[in-house]
Amino acid sequence: MRPIYHLIVFYLAAQTAWYLVREEKLWKQAGAAMVLVLLLLRLFLVK
Amino acid sequence: MRKPEDGPKLKGTPRLSALFFAALVAAACFFSGREFRTMRAEEAIYPSPGLTVARHLSDYFPPLQGTPGDTPVYIFEGPAKGGTVLVLGGTHPNEPAGFLTAVLLAENIRIVRGKIVIVPRANASGFTHSDPQEGSPQRYDIATTSGARTFRLGARVTNPVHQWPDPTIYVNPGGQTLAGIEARNLNRAYPGRPDGNLTERVAYALMALIKAEGVELGIDLHESAPEYPVINALVFHENASDLAATAQMALQSEGLDFRLEASPPNLRGLSHREWGDAAGIMAVLLETPNASHGRLKGRPSAALVIDGRDKFYERAAKLGRLFVPFGPEGIPLKDRVARHLAGVAALLDSLRELVPGRAVDIEGAPSAAAVRASGPGAFLHPPK
Repeated sequence: MRPIYHLIVFYLAAQTAWYLVREEKLWKQAGAAMVLVLLLLRLFLVK
Repeated sequence: MRKPEDGPKLKGTPRLSALFFAALVAAACFFSGREFRTMRAEEAIYPSPGLTVARHLSDYFPPLQGTPGDTPVYIFEGPAKGGTVLVLGGTHPNEPAGFLTAVLLAENIRIVRGKIVIVPRANASGFTHSDPQEGSPQRYDIATTSGARTFRLGARVTNPVHQWPDPTIYVNPGGQTLAGIEARNLNRAYPGRPDGNLTERVAYALMALIKAEGVELGIDLHESAPEYPVINALVFHENASDLAATAQMALQSEGLDFRLEASPPNLRGLSHREWGDAAGIMAVLLETPNASHGRLKGRPSAALVIDGRDKFYERAAKLGRLFVPFGPEGIPLKDRVARHLAGVAALLDSLRELVPGRAVDIEGAPSAAAVRASGPGAFLHPPK
Protein backbone atom coordinates (compact mmCIF):
# COMPACT_ATOMS: atom_id res chain seq x y z
CA MET A 1 0.00 0.00 0.00
CA ARG A 2 2.69 2.48 1.03
CA PRO A 3 4.93 2.14 -2.08
CA ILE A 4 1.86 2.60 -4.29
CA TYR A 5 0.90 5.71 -2.33
CA HIS A 6 4.43 7.09 -2.69
CA LEU A 7 4.45 6.31 -6.41
CA ILE A 8 1.20 8.24 -6.89
CA VAL A 9 2.56 11.27 -5.02
CA PHE A 10 5.87 11.01 -6.90
CA TYR A 11 4.00 10.94 -10.22
CA LEU A 12 1.99 14.04 -9.31
CA ALA A 13 5.12 15.83 -8.05
CA ALA A 14 7.03 14.97 -11.24
CA GLN A 15 4.14 16.18 -13.42
CA THR A 16 3.94 19.43 -11.48
CA ALA A 17 7.71 19.97 -11.65
CA TRP A 18 7.60 19.33 -15.40
CA TYR A 19 4.74 21.82 -15.74
CA LEU A 20 6.77 24.37 -13.74
CA VAL A 21 9.78 24.20 -16.06
CA ARG A 22 7.64 24.32 -19.26
CA GLU A 23 5.19 27.01 -18.22
CA GLU A 24 5.95 30.54 -19.40
CA LYS A 25 3.47 32.60 -17.40
CA LEU A 26 4.97 33.80 -14.19
CA TRP A 27 1.84 33.51 -12.06
CA LYS A 28 1.24 29.94 -13.30
CA GLN A 29 4.81 29.04 -12.42
CA ALA A 30 4.15 30.46 -8.93
CA GLY A 31 0.98 28.36 -8.63
CA ALA A 32 2.82 25.22 -9.68
CA ALA A 33 5.59 25.99 -7.19
CA MET A 34 3.10 26.25 -4.34
CA VAL A 35 1.49 22.91 -5.24
CA LEU A 36 4.92 21.35 -5.65
CA VAL A 37 5.90 22.31 -2.09
CA LEU A 38 2.91 20.39 -0.71
CA LEU A 39 3.57 17.34 -2.86
CA LEU A 40 7.28 17.20 -2.01
CA LEU A 41 6.61 17.58 1.71
CA ARG A 42 4.09 14.75 1.43
CA LEU A 43 6.54 12.64 -0.55
CA PHE A 44 9.54 12.99 1.77
CA LEU A 45 8.05 13.54 5.22
CA VAL A 46 5.25 11.01 5.39
CA LYS A 47 6.78 7.70 6.36
CA MET B 1 -2.74 21.08 -19.08
CA ARG B 2 -2.10 24.15 -21.22
CA LYS B 3 0.87 23.96 -23.55
CA PRO B 4 3.37 26.78 -23.07
CA GLU B 5 3.37 27.60 -26.78
CA ASP B 6 -0.38 28.32 -26.58
CA GLY B 7 0.09 31.44 -24.46
CA PRO B 8 1.87 34.71 -24.91
CA LYS B 9 5.56 34.70 -24.16
CA LEU B 10 6.79 36.60 -21.15
CA LYS B 11 9.44 39.19 -21.46
CA GLY B 12 12.75 38.05 -20.08
CA THR B 13 13.56 34.40 -19.50
CA PRO B 14 10.76 32.09 -18.31
CA ARG B 15 13.29 29.32 -17.69
CA LEU B 16 15.16 31.58 -15.29
CA SER B 17 11.94 32.33 -13.41
CA ALA B 18 11.20 28.58 -13.29
CA LEU B 19 14.62 28.06 -11.73
CA PHE B 20 13.88 30.85 -9.28
CA PHE B 21 10.59 29.19 -8.28
CA ALA B 22 12.31 25.79 -8.05
CA ALA B 23 14.80 27.34 -5.63
CA LEU B 24 11.90 28.80 -3.63
CA VAL B 25 10.27 25.36 -3.55
CA ALA B 26 13.50 23.81 -2.25
CA ALA B 27 13.86 26.50 0.44
CA ALA B 28 10.21 26.19 1.53
CA CYS B 29 10.52 22.40 1.69
CA PHE B 30 13.73 22.62 3.69
CA PHE B 31 12.52 25.07 6.34
CA SER B 32 8.97 23.79 6.75
CA GLY B 33 10.20 20.18 6.58
CA ARG B 34 12.74 20.86 9.33
CA GLU B 35 10.01 22.38 11.50
CA PHE B 36 7.67 19.49 10.73
CA ARG B 37 10.25 16.87 11.67
CA THR B 38 10.72 18.38 15.12
CA MET B 39 7.17 17.26 15.93
CA ARG B 40 8.50 13.71 15.94
CA ALA B 41 11.29 14.48 18.39
CA GLU B 42 10.53 13.27 21.89
CA GLU B 43 11.38 15.84 24.57
CA ALA B 44 13.69 14.58 27.31
CA ILE B 45 12.30 13.45 30.65
CA TYR B 46 14.79 13.42 33.54
CA PRO B 47 13.74 10.69 36.01
CA SER B 48 14.54 11.27 39.66
CA PRO B 49 17.42 9.41 41.36
CA GLY B 50 14.73 7.16 42.83
CA LEU B 51 14.31 5.46 39.46
CA THR B 52 14.85 1.71 39.68
CA VAL B 53 14.73 0.82 36.01
CA ALA B 54 13.76 2.48 32.74
CA ARG B 55 12.13 0.23 30.21
CA HIS B 56 10.11 0.48 27.05
CA LEU B 57 6.59 -0.69 26.42
CA SER B 58 7.96 -3.07 23.80
CA ASP B 59 9.72 -4.98 26.61
CA TYR B 60 6.25 -6.26 27.51
CA PHE B 61 5.14 -6.83 23.92
CA PRO B 62 8.18 -7.17 21.60
CA PRO B 63 6.28 -6.67 18.30
CA LEU B 64 5.87 -3.02 19.35
CA GLN B 65 9.63 -2.45 19.17
CA GLY B 66 10.66 0.03 16.50
CA THR B 67 7.09 1.21 15.94
CA PRO B 68 5.76 4.71 16.73
CA GLY B 69 3.73 3.13 19.53
CA ASP B 70 6.75 2.23 21.64
CA THR B 71 7.23 4.51 24.64
CA PRO B 72 9.37 4.79 27.80
CA VAL B 73 8.23 3.16 31.04
CA TYR B 74 9.75 4.35 34.33
CA ILE B 75 9.68 1.96 37.29
CA PHE B 76 10.29 3.19 40.84
CA GLU B 77 10.57 0.52 43.51
CA GLY B 78 11.09 1.01 47.23
CA PRO B 79 13.12 -1.03 49.72
CA ALA B 80 9.98 -2.25 51.52
CA LYS B 81 7.41 -4.56 49.95
CA GLY B 82 4.03 -3.10 49.12
CA GLY B 83 1.56 -2.74 46.30
CA THR B 84 2.08 -1.70 42.69
CA VAL B 85 0.48 1.35 41.11
CA LEU B 86 0.43 2.36 37.45
CA VAL B 87 0.24 6.07 36.56
CA LEU B 88 -0.58 6.70 32.93
CA GLY B 89 -0.23 10.10 31.27
CA GLY B 90 -0.58 11.06 27.63
CA THR B 91 -3.36 8.65 26.70
CA HIS B 92 -4.75 11.72 24.94
CA PRO B 93 -1.75 13.94 24.07
CA ASN B 94 -3.95 17.04 23.73
CA GLU B 95 -4.63 16.86 27.49
CA PRO B 96 -1.39 18.31 28.87
CA ALA B 97 -2.19 18.18 32.59
CA GLY B 98 -2.22 14.36 32.55
CA PHE B 99 1.10 14.14 30.73
CA LEU B 100 2.73 16.84 32.86
CA THR B 101 1.58 15.24 36.13
CA ALA B 102 3.17 11.96 35.07
CA VAL B 103 6.40 13.83 34.18
CA LEU B 104 6.39 15.68 37.52
CA LEU B 105 6.03 12.40 39.41
CA ALA B 106 8.76 10.71 37.35
CA GLU B 107 11.17 13.59 37.95
CA ASN B 108 10.61 13.91 41.71
CA ILE B 109 9.51 10.78 43.53
CA ARG B 110 11.36 8.31 45.69
CA ILE B 111 9.61 5.18 46.85
CA VAL B 112 9.64 4.09 50.47
CA ARG B 113 7.33 1.12 50.04
CA GLY B 114 5.89 -0.66 47.04
CA LYS B 115 6.29 0.15 43.37
CA ILE B 116 5.08 2.84 40.96
CA VAL B 117 5.14 2.37 37.19
CA ILE B 118 4.88 5.63 35.22
CA VAL B 119 4.14 5.88 31.50
CA PRO B 120 4.09 9.61 30.63
CA ARG B 121 3.36 9.19 26.89
CA ALA B 122 0.92 6.31 26.70
CA ASN B 123 0.01 7.13 23.10
CA ALA B 124 3.44 8.19 21.82
CA SER B 125 2.20 8.41 18.23
CA GLY B 126 -0.43 10.97 19.24
CA PHE B 127 2.35 13.33 20.35
CA THR B 128 3.77 13.48 16.80
CA HIS B 129 0.91 15.43 15.22
CA SER B 130 -1.76 17.98 16.06
CA ASP B 131 -5.54 17.73 15.94
CA PRO B 132 -6.57 18.64 12.38
CA GLN B 133 -8.58 21.81 11.69
CA GLU B 134 -8.10 23.07 15.24
CA GLY B 135 -5.21 25.49 14.78
CA SER B 136 -3.73 24.12 17.99
CA PRO B 137 -0.28 25.31 19.02
CA GLN B 138 2.42 22.74 18.38
CA ARG B 139 4.16 23.37 21.68
CA TYR B 140 3.94 25.08 25.03
CA ASP B 141 6.71 26.24 27.36
CA ILE B 142 6.98 25.70 31.10
CA ALA B 143 9.45 27.96 32.89
CA THR B 144 11.69 26.03 35.28
CA THR B 145 14.18 27.33 37.82
CA SER B 146 16.77 27.58 35.05
CA GLY B 147 15.32 27.96 31.57
CA ALA B 148 12.11 26.81 29.95
CA ARG B 149 11.13 23.26 29.08
CA THR B 150 9.20 22.90 25.84
CA PHE B 151 6.61 20.19 25.42
CA ARG B 152 4.59 19.05 22.45
CA LEU B 153 0.85 19.49 22.47
CA GLY B 154 -0.25 16.42 20.58
CA ALA B 155 -3.56 15.17 19.26
CA ARG B 156 -6.28 13.12 20.91
CA VAL B 157 -5.67 10.11 18.70
CA THR B 158 -2.87 8.17 17.00
CA ASN B 159 -1.15 9.89 14.05
CA PRO B 160 -2.93 8.84 10.80
CA VAL B 161 0.51 8.58 9.21
CA HIS B 162 1.14 5.68 11.60
CA GLN B 163 -2.32 4.11 11.34
CA TRP B 164 -4.32 4.60 8.19
CA PRO B 165 -7.01 4.46 6.88
CA ASP B 166 -9.77 4.71 9.49
CA PRO B 167 -12.63 2.26 9.04
CA THR B 168 -16.11 3.66 8.43
CA ILE B 169 -17.32 1.95 11.59
CA TYR B 170 -14.92 0.77 14.27
CA VAL B 171 -15.73 -2.27 16.41
CA ASN B 172 -13.29 -2.18 19.30
CA PRO B 173 -11.82 -5.21 21.10
CA GLY B 174 -14.62 -4.98 23.66
CA GLY B 175 -17.22 -5.28 20.91
CA GLN B 176 -18.40 -1.64 21.09
CA THR B 177 -19.39 -0.04 17.77
CA LEU B 178 -17.87 3.41 17.38
CA ALA B 179 -17.16 6.09 14.76
CA GLY B 180 -14.20 5.27 12.49
CA ILE B 181 -11.81 7.84 14.01
CA GLU B 182 -12.09 6.08 17.38
CA ALA B 183 -9.96 3.28 15.89
CA ARG B 184 -7.05 5.61 16.76
CA ASN B 185 -8.24 6.43 20.29
CA LEU B 186 -6.18 4.54 22.86
CA ASN B 187 -8.89 4.93 25.46
CA ARG B 188 -11.33 2.98 23.31
CA ALA B 189 -8.89 0.22 22.37
CA TYR B 190 -8.52 -1.79 25.61
CA PRO B 191 -7.83 -4.60 26.22
CA GLY B 192 -6.19 -4.38 22.81
CA ARG B 193 -5.41 -6.97 20.17
CA PRO B 194 -1.94 -8.49 19.61
CA ASP B 195 -2.54 -8.50 15.85
CA GLY B 196 -4.71 -5.39 15.68
CA ASN B 197 -3.98 -1.87 14.51
CA LEU B 198 -1.19 0.17 16.14
CA THR B 199 -3.47 1.68 18.80
CA GLU B 200 -4.85 -1.75 19.71
CA ARG B 201 -1.31 -3.14 19.94
CA VAL B 202 -0.33 -0.30 22.30
CA ALA B 203 -3.40 -1.09 24.43
CA TYR B 204 -2.46 -4.78 24.38
CA ALA B 205 1.10 -3.92 25.47
CA LEU B 206 -0.21 -1.81 28.36
CA MET B 207 -2.36 -4.74 29.48
CA ALA B 208 0.73 -6.97 29.26
CA LEU B 209 2.62 -4.41 31.40
CA ILE B 210 -0.18 -4.42 34.00
CA LYS B 211 -0.01 -8.20 34.25
CA ALA B 212 3.80 -8.48 34.17
CA GLU B 213 4.40 -5.82 36.82
CA GLY B 214 1.57 -7.07 39.03
CA VAL B 215 -0.24 -3.73 38.99
CA GLU B 216 -3.03 -3.52 41.56
CA LEU B 217 -4.17 0.07 41.08
CA GLY B 218 -4.16 1.84 37.71
CA ILE B 219 -4.60 5.61 37.45
CA ASP B 220 -5.26 7.08 33.99
CA LEU B 221 -4.82 10.88 33.88
CA HIS B 222 -7.06 12.85 31.53
CA GLU B 223 -8.62 16.23 30.86
CA SER B 224 -12.00 17.09 29.42
CA ALA B 225 -13.72 20.12 27.93
CA PRO B 226 -15.55 22.35 30.45
CA GLU B 227 -18.87 21.66 28.69
CA TYR B 228 -18.42 17.88 29.10
CA PRO B 229 -20.37 16.44 32.05
CA VAL B 230 -17.68 13.97 33.18
CA ILE B 231 -15.30 16.56 34.60
CA ASN B 232 -13.45 17.19 37.85
CA ALA B 233 -14.20 13.55 38.35
CA LEU B 234 -12.92 10.23 39.58
CA VAL B 235 -14.26 7.61 37.18
CA PHE B 236 -13.90 4.23 38.84
CA HIS B 237 -14.34 0.55 38.05
CA GLU B 238 -16.46 -1.29 40.61
CA ASN B 239 -13.25 -3.01 41.80
CA ALA B 240 -12.14 0.44 43.02
CA SER B 241 -15.44 1.80 44.36
CA ASP B 242 -14.35 1.87 48.04
CA LEU B 243 -10.96 3.28 47.11
CA ALA B 244 -12.43 6.03 44.93
CA ALA B 245 -15.11 6.95 47.48
CA THR B 246 -12.52 7.21 50.27
CA ALA B 247 -10.26 9.32 48.06
CA GLN B 248 -13.15 11.58 47.06
CA MET B 249 -14.05 12.26 50.69
CA ALA B 250 -10.44 13.17 51.43
CA LEU B 251 -10.30 15.47 48.39
CA GLN B 252 -13.59 17.14 49.29
CA SER B 253 -12.30 17.73 52.80
CA GLU B 254 -9.32 19.53 51.25
CA GLY B 255 -11.72 21.78 49.36
CA LEU B 256 -11.23 20.08 45.99
CA ASP B 257 -14.54 19.36 44.33
CA PHE B 258 -14.32 15.90 42.73
CA ARG B 259 -17.31 13.94 41.47
CA LEU B 260 -17.59 10.19 41.63
CA GLU B 261 -18.56 8.58 38.33
CA ALA B 262 -19.08 4.82 38.13
CA SER B 263 -17.64 3.25 34.98
CA PRO B 264 -20.65 2.06 32.93
CA PRO B 265 -20.36 -1.73 32.42
CA ASN B 266 -21.60 -1.48 28.82
CA LEU B 267 -19.12 1.21 27.77
CA ARG B 268 -16.34 -0.96 26.40
CA GLY B 269 -12.74 -0.27 25.54
CA LEU B 270 -11.97 2.37 28.17
CA SER B 271 -9.18 2.03 30.72
CA HIS B 272 -11.47 2.29 33.75
CA ARG B 273 -13.61 -0.55 32.37
CA GLU B 274 -11.19 -2.97 30.71
CA TRP B 275 -8.30 -2.70 33.19
CA GLY B 276 -10.75 -3.84 35.85
CA ASP B 277 -12.55 -6.46 33.75
CA ALA B 278 -9.59 -7.94 31.86
CA ALA B 279 -6.83 -7.61 34.47
CA GLY B 280 -8.89 -7.49 37.67
CA ILE B 281 -7.15 -4.39 39.00
CA MET B 282 -8.59 -1.32 40.71
CA ALA B 283 -8.94 1.16 37.86
CA VAL B 284 -9.53 4.90 38.23
CA LEU B 285 -9.54 7.69 35.64
CA LEU B 286 -9.10 11.33 36.68
CA GLU B 287 -10.53 14.25 34.69
CA THR B 288 -9.68 17.95 34.97
CA PRO B 289 -11.23 20.82 32.96
CA ASN B 290 -9.19 21.99 29.97
CA ALA B 291 -10.49 24.91 27.93
CA SER B 292 -7.85 24.45 25.21
CA HIS B 293 -9.51 21.37 23.77
CA GLY B 294 -13.14 22.32 24.28
CA ARG B 295 -15.52 23.18 21.44
CA LEU B 296 -16.48 26.62 22.77
CA LYS B 297 -12.99 28.10 22.98
CA GLY B 298 -11.78 31.16 21.14
CA ARG B 299 -8.40 31.32 19.42
CA PRO B 300 -6.23 28.31 20.36
CA SER B 301 -2.82 29.27 21.68
CA ALA B 302 -0.08 28.16 24.03
CA ALA B 303 -1.32 30.85 26.44
CA LEU B 304 -4.74 29.18 26.51
CA VAL B 305 -3.07 25.84 27.34
CA ILE B 306 -1.05 27.38 30.18
CA ASP B 307 -3.34 30.12 31.55
CA GLY B 308 -6.65 28.48 30.71
CA ARG B 309 -8.36 31.86 30.27
CA ASP B 310 -11.02 32.19 27.58
CA LYS B 311 -13.74 34.84 27.30
CA PHE B 312 -16.07 32.52 25.40
CA TYR B 313 -15.95 29.93 28.17
CA GLU B 314 -16.46 32.74 30.65
CA ARG B 315 -19.63 33.70 28.80
CA ALA B 316 -20.75 30.08 28.51
CA ALA B 317 -20.37 29.75 32.29
CA LYS B 318 -22.57 32.82 32.82
CA LEU B 319 -25.18 31.20 30.56
CA GLY B 320 -25.05 28.03 32.66
CA ARG B 321 -23.68 25.88 29.85
CA LEU B 322 -20.66 24.45 31.67
CA PHE B 323 -20.21 21.76 34.27
CA VAL B 324 -17.47 23.65 36.15
CA PRO B 325 -17.17 27.23 37.38
CA PHE B 326 -15.24 29.34 34.84
CA GLY B 327 -14.35 32.91 35.78
CA PRO B 328 -12.00 35.55 34.36
CA GLU B 329 -9.07 33.81 36.05
CA GLY B 330 -9.71 30.71 33.89
CA ILE B 331 -8.50 27.25 34.88
CA PRO B 332 -4.71 27.35 34.52
CA LEU B 333 -2.52 24.34 33.86
CA LYS B 334 -0.93 24.63 37.31
CA ASP B 335 -4.36 24.16 38.95
CA ARG B 336 -5.16 21.21 36.71
CA VAL B 337 -1.83 19.53 37.44
CA ALA B 338 -2.35 20.27 41.16
CA ARG B 339 -5.75 18.55 41.01
CA HIS B 340 -4.21 15.47 39.40
CA LEU B 341 -1.43 15.36 41.98
CA ALA B 342 -3.98 15.70 44.78
CA GLY B 343 -6.02 12.91 43.17
CA VAL B 344 -3.04 10.56 42.93
CA ALA B 345 -2.02 11.34 46.53
CA ALA B 346 -5.56 10.74 47.81
CA LEU B 347 -5.78 7.43 45.96
CA LEU B 348 -2.44 6.30 47.45
CA ASP B 349 -3.65 7.35 50.93
CA SER B 350 -6.87 5.40 50.41
CA LEU B 351 -4.95 2.34 49.27
CA ARG B 352 -2.87 2.52 52.46
CA GLU B 353 -6.01 2.85 54.55
CA LEU B 354 -8.05 0.11 52.86
CA VAL B 355 -5.34 -2.43 51.99
CA PRO B 356 -2.45 -1.69 54.38
CA GLY B 357 -0.39 -4.63 53.16
CA ARG B 358 -0.45 -3.31 49.58
CA ALA B 359 0.30 0.32 50.40
CA VAL B 360 2.61 2.39 48.20
CA ASP B 361 4.45 5.14 50.09
CA ILE B 362 6.27 7.83 48.15
CA GLU B 363 8.38 10.84 49.04
CA GLY B 364 9.32 13.89 47.06
CA ALA B 365 6.13 14.25 45.04
CA PRO B 366 5.22 17.93 44.72
CA SER B 367 2.16 18.77 46.77
CA ALA B 368 -0.92 20.17 45.09
CA ALA B 369 -0.65 23.37 47.15
CA ALA B 370 2.99 23.88 46.14
CA VAL B 371 2.24 23.37 42.44
CA ARG B 372 -0.71 25.72 42.65
CA ALA B 373 1.50 28.33 44.33
CA SER B 374 4.71 27.99 42.30
CA GLY B 375 3.59 26.29 39.08
CA PRO B 376 4.75 22.91 37.77
CA GLY B 377 7.98 24.40 36.42
CA ALA B 378 9.33 24.82 39.96
CA PHE B 379 9.43 21.01 40.20
CA LEU B 380 10.63 20.17 36.73
CA HIS B 381 14.26 19.37 36.03
CA PRO B 382 15.85 22.34 34.20
CA PRO B 383 16.56 21.66 30.52
CA LYS B 384 20.00 20.22 29.73
